[in-house]
Amino acid sequence: MHLIVGVKHVPDADTRLRVDPSGTTYDPDGVKFTINNTYDEATLEESLRLKDGNPGTTVHVVSVGPPRAEEGLRAALAMGADEATLVEVGTGTELDPLLTARLLAAVIRGIPHDLVLVGRQAADDEAGQVGSALGHYLGLPSAGYVTGLEVDPASKRLHIKRYVEGGEETLGMEFPAVLSILKGANDPRTPTLPNILKARRKPLRKVPVGDLLPALETWPGGAKPTSRVTAFQLPPPRAGAKILEYTSPEEAAGKLLAALREEAKVL
Amino acid sequence: MTLNVLVLTDQRGGTLKTASRETLSEARRLVERAGGGRVWAGLVGSGLDAILPKVQEMGPDSVLLMDDPVLKDFQAAAYAVAARAMLEGIPSPRVILAPATAMGREWLPRLGAALGTGVATEATEVVPDPEGGIRIRRTVFGGKATVSVALPEGSCATLRVNTFAADPRPGQAPVTRVPVPEIPKEARAISVESTVEAPRDTVDLTQASIVVAGGRGLKGPENFHLVEDLARILGGAPAASRAVVDAGWRPASYQVGQTGKTVAPQLYIAIGISGAIQHLVGMSNSRCIVAINRDAAAPIFKVAHYGIVGDALAIVPALIGALRAERP
Ligand SMILES: Cc1cc2nc3c(=O)[nH]c(=O)nc-3n(C[C@H](O)[C@H](O)[C@H](O)COP(=O)(O)OP(=O)(O)OC[C@H]3O[C@@H](n4cnc5c(N)ncnc54)[C@H](O)[C@@H]3O)c2cc1C
Ligand SMILES: Nc1ncnc2c1ncn2[C@@H]1O[C@H](COP(=O)(O)O)[C@@H](O)[C@H]1O
Repeated sequence: MHLIVGVKHVPDADTRLRVDPSGTTYDPDGVKFTINNTYDEATLEESLRLKDGNPGTTVHVVSVGPPRAEEGLRAALAMGADEATLVEVGTGTELDPLLTARLLAAVIRGIPHDLVLVGRQAADDEAGQVGSALGHYLGLPSAGYVTGLEVDPASKRLHIKRYVEGGEETLGMEFPAVLSILKGANDPRTPTLPNILKARRKPLRKVPVGDLLPALETWPGGAKPTSRVTAFQLPPPRAGAKILEYTSPEEAAGKLLAALREEAKVL
Repeated sequence: MTLNVLVLTDQRGGTLKTASRETLSEARRLVERAGGGRVWAGLVGSGLDAILPKVQEMGPDSVLLMDDPVLKDFQAAAYAVAARAMLEGIPSPRVILAPATAMGREWLPRLGAALGTGVATEATEVVPDPEGGIRIRRTVFGGKATVSVALPEGSCATLRVNTFAADPRPGQAPVTRVPVPEIPKEARAISVESTVEAPRDTVDLTQASIVVAGGRGLKGPENFHLVEDLARILGGAPAASRAVVDAGWRPASYQVGQTGKTVAPQLYIAIGISGAIQHLVGMSNSRCIVAINRDAAAPIFKVAHYGIVGDALAIVPALIGALRAERP
């Protein structure tokens, strides 16, 4: 079985962000980028578990991003992916989630794929759009908020669990298909040194974005983004909590309830 | 300027979600801000007659109903085709809104991809764009930043739950039945085999307007009922940090954070939770955050609005006691 996993190279969760002079994005200078600690790492771990449990399965990681995204793909290869493709975009290229999905679809069309897995949302834009949009562009069924999956390669069927408000659904699904993974507590594996070394020799193909864009002209949405960020802002620093002084737990409880009712008006 | 708005409602499981009511109300306000236009409520599913009055009560101008057994279960591919068929009767300039429930967040990107328009998810503000279309605001980077996004006429947006007021306006919007279009092959490749519903007396975590979350500071599973008792008495949902889930005190469905659920309730009470970044990204957008923690230097106090420095095992019983005394 051939699995494809979309991974995005994003600023590390602990990074402090500064607004770029353009006012519409963050300043990448001094930012540490990673695919670790994000939704994508959980998705990659899920696909590597499928590979471990189903001999003959391959995992191909794909990323759309600037040249630095190669590091993210190398990290994914070190975790156990077999192959990687980078759709290389210049730093000035404007993307939005749907154009990203179109570019991913255009490269995935040229790679064997039984199952395409993406994260529930990218840790930076938190759009949560690429999975379903990929389903449309590839002409495949898609399911989101997936919390568990089992594959039956013989019958070409998947059994997946997905989160819905107030419960959980179990779906039967034919593949090829696209799934967005919402995974609970799973621990992504840490690459070992031999695997890091091995990863350097695994195939990593680079596709310039210019090779794909012309073909997108005729797709719905075309070769340009259809949404535009007009401002990127950091919230004013919070003052920190108002600490309630008290002499007994009862007094603390009384003061809190009063504050929530009279000041915050949330009770 | 006028703006026509199609609201795709979420009524999975046969009940109109509060989030759908919120979106219908915000659509009305959006049309008013634009200075004219109409609100269409679009219902896709099966056996929807019972909820029609609940939709009309939110004051849309028209209701479009696509009710057919083939649409009983939600699937993004089939529902996207259904929504496109509904759009045919709605004049431009128009936009499509839906609540950012699991269903809306999966449905609208698929629809937007098919239409070739813009899509934005989890909007916390929606205004008409003088250049046509709408501008929305949303948070990114786990609440560390916000962006404004311009979406052209014809675009789709989902609205964050628990963010917009639902205010009913009596009305008797006419109902038009829209026939089901042909459902493509890929949309027939999925079937729902079973649905497990959460117990009726529990409140869904992502929909709850009050969330009470407990962490390792509760010391052991034997004390975790304090979190659940407080949640129940406040009419909210209980939740947990990953440390609690990893220790097996409570199931993964309780987990809030990067690898758990994202919540943005009106009130979030964090009890014995240190406030690791992976936890904060799942809850820092909550309107009012309360932290109860023994350690005055715990990072949770940086994002909290109110803090109590002290022993959770003493403070929480006192809170429960005070609330019980009010409502005997
Ligand atoms: C890839 C990755 C993903 C992760 N995803 C998540 C996620 O989705 N959600 C999540 O929550 N975490 C996640 N984590 C884990 C996160 O980093 C923290 O380890 C976790 O949130 C800590 O849980 P905690 O606050 O309950 O425990 P601790 O950090 O141990 O904090 C316990 C707190 O309780 C306080 N305390 C102790 N005794 C008392 C008392 N008697 N009364 C009051 N307070 C007391 C302490 O002062 C302390 O602040 C993730 C980590 C990684 C690496
Ligand atoms: N630039 C990208 N390259 C590869 N995969 C991506 C990219 N952007 C998003 N994805 C995938 O799509 C998921 C959802 O992203 P988004 O819709 O942007 O929130 C992510 O978790 C990734 O798996």
